[in-house]
Amino acid sequence: MRRIKVIAVILILLCLVFCAACQSPAGSGNEGQEQAGGESDSSFAVTDMTGNTVEFDRPVEKIVVLTAADCEIIYALGAGDMVVGRGSYCDYPAETADVTELQSGSETNIEQIVSLQPDVVFMSTMDQSVDQVEALRQAGMKVVVSEAQNIDGVYQAIRMVGQVLQKDAEAEDLIKNMQDTFAQVSQQVSEEEEHTVYFEVSPLEYGLWTAGSNTFMDEIASMLGLKNIFADVEGWGEVSEEQVIERNPDYIISITMYMEGETPPEEEIMSRPGWQQVAAVQNQQVWTMDSNMISRPGPRLAEAAQALYANVYGDQ
Amino acid sequence: MLKEAKGEGFSFPIYVLFSIALLGVLWICIAVGSVFISPADILKAVWSSLRGLPVPDGFAQSIIVSIRIPRVLAVALSGAALSICGAAMQGLLRNPLADGSTLGVSSGASLGAVLAIAFGVRLPGFAGGGVMLMAMTFAFLSMLVILGLAYRLDCSLSTNTIILIGIIFSMFVNSIVNVVVTFAGEKVKTIMFWTMGSLSGSNYQDVLVLCCALLVGGAILLHYTRELNAFAIGEDNARHVGVNVRQVKLVIMIAVSILIGVCVSIGGTIAFVGLVVPHMARMLVGPNHRRLLPASLFGGAIFLLLADLLARTLLNPLELSIGVVTSFVGAIAFVYIFNLSRKGKS
Repeated sequence: MRRIKVIAVILILLCLVFCAACQSPAGSGNEGQEQAGGESDSSFAVTDMTGNTVEFDRPVEKIVVLTAADCEIIYALGAGDMVVGRGSYCDYPAETADVTELQSGSETNIEQIVSLQPDVVFMSTMDQSVDQVEALRQAGMKVVVSEAQNIDGVYQAIRMVGQVLQKDAEAEDLIKNMQDTFAQVSQQVSEEEEHTVYFEVSPLEYGLWTAGSNTFMDEIASMLGLKNIFADVEGWGEVSEEQVIERNPDYIISITMYMEGETPPEEEIMSRPGWQQVAAVQNQQVWTMDSNMISRPGPRLAEAAQALYANVYGDQ
Repeated sequence: MLKEAKGEGFSFPIYVLFSIALLGVLWICIAVGSVFISPADILKAVWSSLRGLPVPDGFAQSIIVSIRIPRVLAVALSGAALSICGAAMQGLLRNPLADGSTLGVSSGASLGAVLAIAFGVRLPGFAGGGVMLMAMTFAFLSMLVILGLAYRLDCSLSTNTIILIGIIFSMFVNSIVNVVVTFAGEKVKTIMFWTMGSLSGSNYQDVLVLCCALLVGGAILLHYTRELNAFAIGEDNARHVGVNVRQVKLVIMIAVSILIGVCVSIGGTIAFVGLVVPHMARMLVGPNHRRLLPASLFGGAIFLLLADLLARTLLNPLELSIGVVTSFVGAIAFVYIFNLSRKGKS
């Protein structure tokens, strides 16, 4: 009997630990560095953003990509037809729907990836664990890891993918395009007065989550001369509703997903009791934006900056 | 039969004492929060909204009247409801570890809630009514399943059997929840909050619903305190002193399902409140259910209010999930109680 009791206690404690672990958001990775690899005849080497050098003895023809942002980069570089398998969250552009879907994240299925015999596998340490990267390398896969924490990191990721696909010129063009868009948008911003913005990641019903400093949303906001009201929060965090009201943002951007037939997030936000005093609600400056566009470290961040600009400052 | 000794229940002064303590904690929880608002402003805000006047200084009123007060009330009512459920189940099953979360009833209720959301079950004219109804139904069904299994495997209904079955049932139900969430796609991805609980964003409608549920369920449970006393000695004992065992058990289980169903559909599963508070109350007022149930009612409200206060203010401006606080305190208390009850037996 005593043993059963002990087992019961252990089981319950385990349950607790799992509950707690599920709750905590994903941790942040390290900064990535990347250098150009040398090239001789058809063999070449690329150093990925975790500092690991991957050698290729022939040009890449078959790609497996597990990370949505890398997938967008590959398509933007015009190599979409080489993708033979994609992670389940890779949903942009629309053509990805025709590519074999692979399990990704914590359910990454290594056998499934190996069976496709790709020349290279793109993954990211944000979505996948280091152990999974290692396991794939053990299985003989050439794994290239991206790890963009900010917009400069996105440029590095684009350059890296460009090197692997030997599309360096296209990569530089894409980066140039993004830089131009950002420059154009931030030039138009008047610096007369500073406005504040609040990003809402999850709705009130589930506890308010916001994007604080060191997020793409924060970076784009500051590019547009907007001050994030939760700049004192590092990364993403659950914040107090009272604080949102007290900090009184001029603009509210929701990236909450909603289904057809539900109340759109902006309407829900404007109808919240107690929020009537908030400047953004009073002036109806509340919008919904595509969460994938503004939170994925991919080329569409430039479009996100344009969309945010259009919302805040009127037409482009 | 079942005649009550004089003075067995709470006397008027003790009710007053508990009420004063509860009101004191309520006041602290309304006065202290993520944003500092002076007591004078709070009183002004409450007073003028009671009279329907707008306040020139708008923020204090918005925060106090629209956000903090409904949340604090919802927390107090949930705490009271969960605790009285825990006390009733511990008595009914003669099991010191019984509680909505250890028995798997809360998990069952959250499965009901998730199914209602995934398949769009709605009650016309009452937002969130479908979720609530499904949560109650599933709470009741899970209780039937758990107790049915427990009787089948072990007629004496020993502590360990019920708890083990409860845990196994919770895991089983959680796996179904995960399957539903996977298939329902983005719609239910955020629903994982049911597993940890959050009372942020409660509004006056939630408060009203909780209040009604507590009035009905609490009244039923308080009505059966003598029968619970008889159950606490043993089911045979209850039968011998003239309790209609089957009927009383069913009614108590329905009352508990209503309370847990409503609490889960509004705040998700908040673990351990119903487990720990009745034990604390027992240490204060003894095992007699005539005193234990009211004491749990007040104690639960106070306990959850304080837990929520910590969750709201500890990491300001960030918020902790209230379940994190109650699980932290609860897990330690759980082991302590387990140890005590084992020593008591051997």
